[in-house]
Amino acid sequence: MTPLRQFYEFIEGRSRAAGALRMLISVAFVLLVWEFLATMVVTNKLLLVPPMDVFQALAKEGVEGTLWRNAMATIGAVGAAFPISVALGIAMGLALASSRFLALTAGPMLTALNSVPLVALAPLFIAWLGLGFASKFVIVTIFSIFPILVMTETGLKATDKILVEAARSFNASRWQIFTTVTLPFALPFIVSGIRVAWARALVAIIIAEFFGSFAGFGFAILAAGQSFDTATLLAYVILLGALGLVGSIFFEWLERRLAPWRQE
Amino acid sequence: MTVAQSAEALSVQGISKVFGRPGKPTVEALRDINLSIREGEFVSIVGASGSGKSTLLRIIDGLLPASAGVIRVSGTTVTSPGADRAMVFQQDALLPWKTVIENVAYGLVIGGTPKRDAHAVAQRFIDMAGLKGFELHYPHQLSGGMRQRVNVARALAVNPKILLLDEPFAALDAQTREIMQAELLNIWQKSGTTVLLITHQIDEAVFLSDRVIVFSARPGTVRQEIPIPLPRPRSLEVKRQEAFGALVDRIWHLIEHEVRSAVADNRA
Repeated sequence: MTPLRQFYEFIEGRSRAAGALRMLISVAFVLLVWEFLATMVVTNKLLLVPPMDVFQALAKEGVEGTLWRNAMATIGAVGAAFPISVALGIAMGLALASSRFLALTAGPMLTALNSVPLVALAPLFIAWLGLGFASKFVIVTIFSIFPILVMTETGLKATDKILVEAARSFNASRWQIFTTVTLPFALPFIVSGIRVAWARALVAIIIAEFFGSFAGFGFAILAAGQSFDTATLLAYVILLGALGLVGSIFFEWLERRLAPWRQE
Repeated sequence: MTVAQSAEALSVQGISKVFGRPGKPTVEALRDINLSIREGEFVSIVGASGSGKSTLLRIIDGLLPASAGVIRVSGTTVTSPGADRAMVFQQDALLPWKTVIENVAYGLVIGGTPKRDAHAVAQRFIDMAGLKGFELHYPHQLSGGMRQRVNVARALAVNPKILLLDEPFAALDAQTREIMQAELLNIWQKSGTTVLLITHQIDEAVFLSDRVIVFSARPGTVRQEIPIPLPRPRSLEVKRQEAFGALVDRIWHLIEHEVRSAVADNRA
């Protein structure tokens, strides 16, 4: 086997080291292309700056303390709103899955609300709740609730009929069927809903901070954009990307943990 | 034969089942079924598809209400599922997120047995079903035949008076099915439970049973009861005996016409 072939086999493998190396290679590739574009193609620093400038800008924000203030504002609002939307989404999904009447009456209403581009409502919430935490909290909650709600309902309804029948055959009560069959079956669905919701929550917080706030990543991005500080702007975008990636990796891992039988 | 052995484990009296919703044409699945099974007996029901045999099993288990008639288990009338009956389903009915031992203990835990005791009992039936060493495996890590053994062990673990088997080996390949039939006989002889088996495999019914009940189709009725006088214990060798072949032939002739018309219906 040639060394190159050996390397291919390793990198396509399932080991943790292979995964890390794959990640490293793709990051290095993006940085390389970026560096090339910023130094050779788009030399106007108002439009694009090389990666090193961005990391310097990031470090500067960190030293000056603005980075932490913005992080506190953004992560604080998402951290407060996201658990609430998870709880509400699961509760509403449960209600819709367990009541035919509710599914028939409230279901279409929720579908309609979900199809409205909720960005359009953001200015309204800010008018109602003012600039700052309250409006961010509500916008993030409403934005991220739908995927959780929908996946909870789907998961609960997707439960294998035969598993429910087997539980009934052992004289399980409705509550026992719910806790030992329906809920465990729905759990991986719910987590994948939460994973989608996390990405939406990050979109929501930036929108909320664009429209009105005095601190946060969205605020910093808007401010940097208005003063043509491209390096700082990209620094915050990268932070947001990292935040999204961490959430996505965590929830994917959780999904696999909860449903190992789905892998095969 | 002692009195205790000949006691009646299951009695099915005048069971009928009509499916239908208001405003829709009704389907008569079962008409006036009468059966009696003694304690420790192994009885099979064979019939063409559509003869309502699975419906009858679900009614006996209490999963479906009957339109008319009475089910008695050891003399007590039953209308809902209970610990005196346990069912093994045709499809895989194991909980995929539970290990083998948790699955086998499931019925006991649902019934309120403390987890530790339930696991101790489950271990006994895991050993009996030849699954020793697989306690901590998950169902997706087992073969189809092993999964069905877990299903049988789970049903037996609740110590039912009657074990109800709904085409338990239908999803298995022919070789695995043969092995599983022999193992089921083995387990049955060890546990001494009363068994009611539904199958469309005539040779399976003859091989396993003391008595085969032949159903006619649409609506399902008892056409004939055929005692199987083959000596026990039986091994797979029995299947090559002349008497075995004659019994299979006899039952086949009873349902052949209906199987053919069912096939024709499916083509139409």
